[in-house]
Amino acid sequence: MGSRPPDEETLVARAKRGETTAYEELVRMHQGIAFRVALVAAGDRGDAEEAAQDAFVKAYRALGRFREGSPFRPWLLRIVANEARNRRRAAGRRAGLTLRAAAVVSGDAAPSPETTALTRERRDALLGGLAALDERDREVLVHRFLLELGEDETAAALGIRRGTVKSRTSRALDRLRAVVGEEVA
Amino acid sequence: MNGLERELAALSDAVEWPDSPDLVPAVAPRLDAAPRRWLVRRPLAIAVVAVLVAAVLAVLAVPPARTAVLDWLGIGGARIVRVADLSPLPLHQDLEVLGRPATLAAARAQAGFSFADPPRGEPGPDEVRLAPGLRVSYLWREGADARLIVTQFPGRAGDPALLKKLAGGATRIDRFSIDGDTAVWLEGGPHVVLFVAPDGLIREDHGWLAGNTLLVDRDGTTIRVEGALDRADAVDVVRAMPASPSSEG
Repeated sequence: MGSRPPDEETLVARAKRGETTAYEELVRMHQGIAFRVALVAAGDRGDAEEAAQDAFVKAYRALGRFREGSPFRPWLLRIVANEARNRRRAAGRRAGLTLRAAAVVSGDAAPSPETTALTRERRDALLGGLAALDERDREVLVHRFLLELGEDETAAALGIRRGTVKSRTSRALDRLRAVVGEEVA
Repeated sequence: MNGLERELAALSDAVEWPDSPDLVPAVAPRLDAAPRRWLVRRPLAIAVVAVLVAAVLAVLAVPPARTAVLDWLGIGGARIVRVADLSPLPLHQDLEVLGRPATLAAARAQAGFSFADPPRGEPGPDEVRLAPGLRVSYLWREGADARLIVTQFPGRAGDPALLKKLAGGATRIDRFSIDGDTAVWLEGGPHVVLFVAPDGLIREDHGWLAGNTLLVDRDGTTIRVEGALDRADAVDVVRAMPASPSSEG
């Protein structure tokens, strides 16, 4: 039996004491979602990678102010998203481009059971409908459904309250439904 | 989950995300060089704060019975002090205390400290005001009034300039974090900003709006957002202000 990998809380505590190897482990654990959140916010792969890197360094520097015992991922994603947004704005890119950058639809990959129920035509309609929404509506749906973040994580990444995530999601779904309709199962 | 939510969840599977890069090789070498803030003690001793509070109260000439300091919170170079029964402020504002009108480029050249650009995605400020070495302010005007004022000042503890904020008992004070930066939200009551100038004199700054206030300590510069806006909007304003190019070492 191998030893169990250290849990996140232990890694955070060790990183706070200055153990960089523990923090590197945290980077490995979260770099995938951090990159995707950065990609959606920055709208450019290169900027997303740099933003995620910088965010991890900033988070390390700010770790002393992280409250132990609270979930690390929402706190981290808030920093990542902010860093990426700053880069997007500095580059003068419009937020509307972000979805297109993220939405590279798989062509040949074997579809999952879920995707078999979603025709290419319907996928395109949904992506087009999302792109037609205003930025606030689009970003909340992208974070909740395409990035599969929880409400707390979405709230952190977008810098809004959890209640706002709920209400904005509901409103955005209504608006998307008005554009693309709803397939009857 | 309704039908459309199920479709969006399925859409997630249909999106082929670019491979996530391994960030560790790029991040790890920067960790050793990163200052570990949790080991840095704020050099401002409580005794010094007490002296400054006393000085502020003396300047205000508030009767002792009304000067019971109920609470204070620290943020960068600012201290928030809650004082019972503080008199409401007149609405008259004299914006001259925010400094002279300047272009952003001139402010950049003469401010003497790092500060963030105006929030992106908003209409540009109607006015930039500069008090060299003390503060840079962005103003969105509405006739003689201001809809929004964003002020930045060097706020690292130990700096000779300290800002004090006195809050009435009705003011709600929430301390929270924005992207790891300490933030304080003041809502619901009158407050006045006092500034301890580098020469040690305490001056009362009258230029501020009587609306809600957000203070954020970002890399040694305090950003203050004031206006008739709620906390989420104030946070949005700060988030839309890119960190100063010189703030990242």
